[in-house]
Amino acid sequence: MKANTLRTLWKRHRGMSISLPGLLLAAYVLLALAAPLIAPQNPYDPLQIYGWEASSPPGTIGGAGYFYLLGTDGLGRDILSTILYGLRISLVVSITSTVIAALIGLTAGVSAAHFGRWVDVVIMRIVDLQLSLPTILVALIAIVTLGPGIDRIILAIVIVQWATYARVIRGIALSESGKPYLDAARLMRLPTWRVLFRHLLPNSIAPAITLIPIELGHAVALEATLSFLGLGVPVDKPSLGSTVANGFQYLMTGQYWISLFPGLALFGLIASINFVGEGVRRNLDPRSRSHDA
Amino acid sequence: MMTTIIGRLSQAALLLLVMSAIGFVGIHSVGNPVYNIVNIETATAEDIRNATIALGLDQPLWRQYLLFMGKVVTGNFGTSYIYHLPAFDLVMSKLPATLELASIAMLIAAPCGTLLGLLAGRKQGGAIDRAILKASVFALSIPSFWLSMVLILVGAITLGWFPSGGRGPTVSLVGQEWSFLTVEGLRRLTLPALALAIPNIALIARLARAGTIEVESQDFVRFCRAKGLSPRRILFRHTLPNISIPIVTIVGMQFGGMLAFAVVVETIFAWPGMGKLLIDSIQLLDRPVVMATLTFVSLAFVGLNALVDLLYAMLDPRVRLST
Amino acid sequence: MTHDSPQAPLLVVRNLTLVHRATTGSTPILRDVSLSLQRGEILGVIGESGAGKSSLGNAILGLLSPDFERTTGTILFNGKPLDGNNERQWDTIRGRRISAIFQDHTASLDPLMAIGPQLEETILATNDTMSRRQARDHAIQLLTRVGIPDIDQRYHHYPHQFSGGQRQRAVIAIALAGRPDIIIADEPTSALDATVQKQILYLLRELVEETNVSIILVTHDMGVVSEITDSVIVMRHGEIVEQGPTSSLLDAPQRTYTRSLLAAVPRLRVSNPGERKERTKHLNDPPLHVGSMEPGTRPILVARGITKSFSGGVFALLRTRPQTPALQDVCVQLDRGMITGIVGESGSGKSTIGRIIAGLETAGDGKIEIDDTCFDPSRSGSRSGLLGKVQMIFQDPAMSLNPRMSISESLRESVRYGAAIAKDELSIVGTMMDRLGLARSLLPRYPHQLSGGQKQRVCIARALLAGPSIIVADEPTSALDVSVQAEIVQLLRENVRERGISMLFISHDLALVQELCSSIYIFKDGRVEDAGSSEFIFTHSQNPYTRSLIDARPRRFTH
Repeated sequence: MKANTLRTLWKRHRGMSISLPGLLLAAYVLLALAAPLIAPQNPYDPLQIYGWEASSPPGTIGGAGYFYLLGTDGLGRDILSTILYGLRISLVVSITSTVIAALIGLTAGVSAAHFGRWVDVVIMRIVDLQLSLPTILVALIAIVTLGPGIDRIILAIVIVQWATYARVIRGIALSESGKPYLDAARLMRLPTWRVLFRHLLPNSIAPAITLIPIELGHAVALEATLSFLGLGVPVDKPSLGSTVANGFQYLMTGQYWISLFPGLALFGLIASINFVGEGVRRNLDPRSRSHDA
Repeated sequence: MMTTIIGRLSQAALLLLVMSAIGFVGIHSVGNPVYNIVNIETATAEDIRNATIALGLDQPLWRQYLLFMGKVVTGNFGTSYIYHLPAFDLVMSKLPATLELASIAMLIAAPCGTLLGLLAGRKQGGAIDRAILKASVFALSIPSFWLSMVLILVGAITLGWFPSGGRGPTVSLVGQEWSFLTVEGLRRLTLPALALAIPNIALIARLARAGTIEVESQDFVRFCRAKGLSPRRILFRHTLPNISIPIVTIVGMQFGGMLAFAVVVETIFAWPGMGKLLIDSIQLLDRPVVMATLTFVSLAFVGLNALVDLLYAMLDPRVRLST
Repeated sequence: MTHDSPQAPLLVVRNLTLVHRATTGSTPILRDVSLSLQRGEILGVIGESGAGKSSLGNAILGLLSPDFERTTGTILFNGKPLDGNNERQWDTIRGRRISAIFQDHTASLDPLMAIGPQLEETILATNDTMSRRQARDHAIQLLTRVGIPDIDQRYHHYPHQFSGGQRQRAVIAIALAGRPDIIIADEPTSALDATVQKQILYLLRELVEETNVSIILVTHDMGVVSEITDSVIVMRHGEIVEQGPTSSLLDAPQRTYTRSLLAAVPRLRVSNPGERKERTKHLNDPPLHVGSMEPGTRPILVARGITKSFSGGVFALLRTRPQTPALQDVCVQLDRGMITGIVGESGSGKSTIGRIIAGLETAGDGKIEIDDTCFDPSRSGSRSGLLGKVQMIFQDPAMSLNPRMSISESLRESVRYGAAIAKDELSIVGTMMDRLGLARSLLPRYPHQLSGGQKQRVCIARALLAGPSIIVADEPTSALDVSVQAEIVQLLRENVRERGISMLFISHDLALVQELCSSIYIFKDGRVEDAGSSEFIFTHSQNPYTRSLIDARPRRFTH
């Protein structure tokens, strides 16, 4: 029986880990980590850039020996390099904000469910209103209020996202608290922390984990959108979104590569995160594997 | 049921109030709009002081807020620092453009999404289902600004079928200018509407798919089969009404979302709507216009939600007939 | 029943074997099942969960999910084979020749379509010649026949506006709409209250006599089988254990399994009506002190004037949690060392009072005294000194154990944080496992690796290990298979008695309560409807509701 369980577990996880999106995502992370080592040039070091090679189409061999695989932008920066450097910023911003948002949302949601009464009412009303407004609107309000800066962007994304976690966790925790095993725990002289951390949290957290990749995808897209609108990361730390925005003005003149390739990279990143998220959700959702029983 | 809606509206109003206060304080900590109306190089201290008084910025913050709120209630958000027009009128003049864009997009998205979702959900795990599911993940992964750019690249630059931006000629109807009444106007609407519609098709399709699977797995659908109804009748008379409740909800919510996401699409397609006005005003620190736009969109959204609640109650007899 | 042509059965199932596609090589869902059904016959199919009885019904209806595969066997209807995959053939069969009734009356009806139209569309779909007008008339006629009153006015009412029993009647009317030859009834009364159950069963019996329809009645309840079936099939693990005419099978079961199923049905002892008529003194005034067996000892628990209402103050508008049934001025008392029973149908408030006594829920008003300590049940923090003194055993053992804690951890937690302070957790836990017939090798396991009966034993162990003076058992056996129920009840009784624990036993099953309890409270609509010693309730009480509950029991299992 034990061996059998292990085998199904293995089967399930093997199917997930060798998936193409998973590999792609891993590649993205590796590329972002190794960007300074593998990028052909540092696009933000003026000494490495040759302005007269601006707007070269993909495949151009530059005078200084650079091979511009994906072409150069309007200032002569190698597009491949700007993508690799932009990827770093995009990932740092989105991962940081997702982690913070998850922690805050988790705490708020479990507290609302466990303490009930006014704690629940206050937290959930804020969550309800926030979730009833479109994310971009909340983000814009936050940005307008907070002002520019990389830390502000992270904060804005956290403000947008914490509510989703809070609502989901609270829903799960609430249905768990109605279950008899928690009633049984309440009938003993258990300290509050034990009820919370030994009984409630371990049983509520697993379904919420599936949210993390989905929200990470949203975070990447949101950061890119804000940066594209010029309300995101500062110009000296361009993310993928700002790189696409740089190329927008050249689109009409036919220099499609300046915005197309960074956009494609961004799309690939979000898609791989979303597909991995989909896989995680399918594997953790009890309804989709009810036949195992 | 009425009490629920009133309750929700009053809660929403309270929170909007809180948000407006936070927003008001926040926006005041970002930049000084005085420098937008006086020339920094030539202005004297006297000029700056006069401009500050003219804008009401010499008052304490709480007073500014109270004055602002007092005016807001009467629909007066102040005068745009840039256009020198009443901010609220300015926003309203841009409303028809955004409204028609979002409406056309939703008219594309809702039927397409529902149909695709039904198609996918009926044969869960089948080839059609997997294809639609995969396509929806891709569609939801495209950032809307990049989708807009690709649409321009393909539809306007490569194929040359559609113009790349701008609203073009408009026709006047009930006192407003609309472009959906002319062929040229529709051509110009196509690409931005598609940019707004595509992610929503995917979203609605996923929801309709999930709803179909859930409804079809319920006992009453099995009972319908046992009592001898044809699959067609079950699909259209039983499954569809049952999934329409969550779909109406998401369509209402997403319509509000489109009004907001128009920010991105309008900026790219140079569509002279509220979204473009908002982004321009944020960058130009045109405070009254920013506040007017954000307040209007938030209010519209809360109103839409209430409308969805009502519709929901009308569709579901369990809610409609409860006392 | 008259069987005109016993040689030509209406339906024949021959050597039917079903397997689950995803788990090839495992035991089949059905193995080699054969049966035949005569016109106008009610055939009972009885078995515990996992016996394959519902899959048998679905196979006959052609409604098996695609995960199932029929490997061998034939189903002959009127001598013609039914092919599981031929949808065109099924269109002429389902609804018109073979129809169905499912267990859950709420889920069986489309919540968004009124009852009348749901029947009307079925009539139109299964009768080619009928006009809309005729269909409507026929619908009204059918709904009236199955016993839904005022249907002219209620034709356009939605399912949620009818009671559970009425919904199931409507489902029966829909099943009859196409004038079928066979109705597959899958647990048609299990979701209904006892008094309604009996009415629905008799309705089915009457309909068989009127229309000569045949019914395959799938159930887990021997009582249901004994009430209306002509013949029975006993199933276990996908195989037929025994089959035969109902009376001979119930009187003289051949197989051990059938015998154990029959033995497990609790029997109600009622003296004959003539004897009970004389004493009527408690008719209008159920006494509070209902059955102190040992005069002089004070009751361990007295709850007075417990009231709980639906309405909820300022936060009512913002409330998002569901409400529990209301209680009105309920008084309950528990005798020391005795088992007190609470009986009631769903929604009677019987579980709510148990939860209030345990301190899991607050009451609006009232007073509770445990062991001479008085406290206010309307304040949630008022009983911290009593924590551990009252333990509960819940209905669903699958949800009563923390799925992420091993059995050992769960039980040791109970020792450590219960009312009794003990030093050697492990040996105490081990002894308790032995006492409850649980192998010690189960200790490192997790709840999902245990059977339902084992889980409930663990829950009993957990409650006992906390060293309580009161145990509230809320329907502790109704989620278990019949054959396990008796053992659990026995175990509970012995252990509570040994330790001198007082128990409040909440159940919908009169026979079970009679077997266990010294005094009984009958709950109805949030009030104490009748109360007294077990003997009083079953022999002397003239309360009409109590009598209707007793009469609702299957005659066969009432002595």
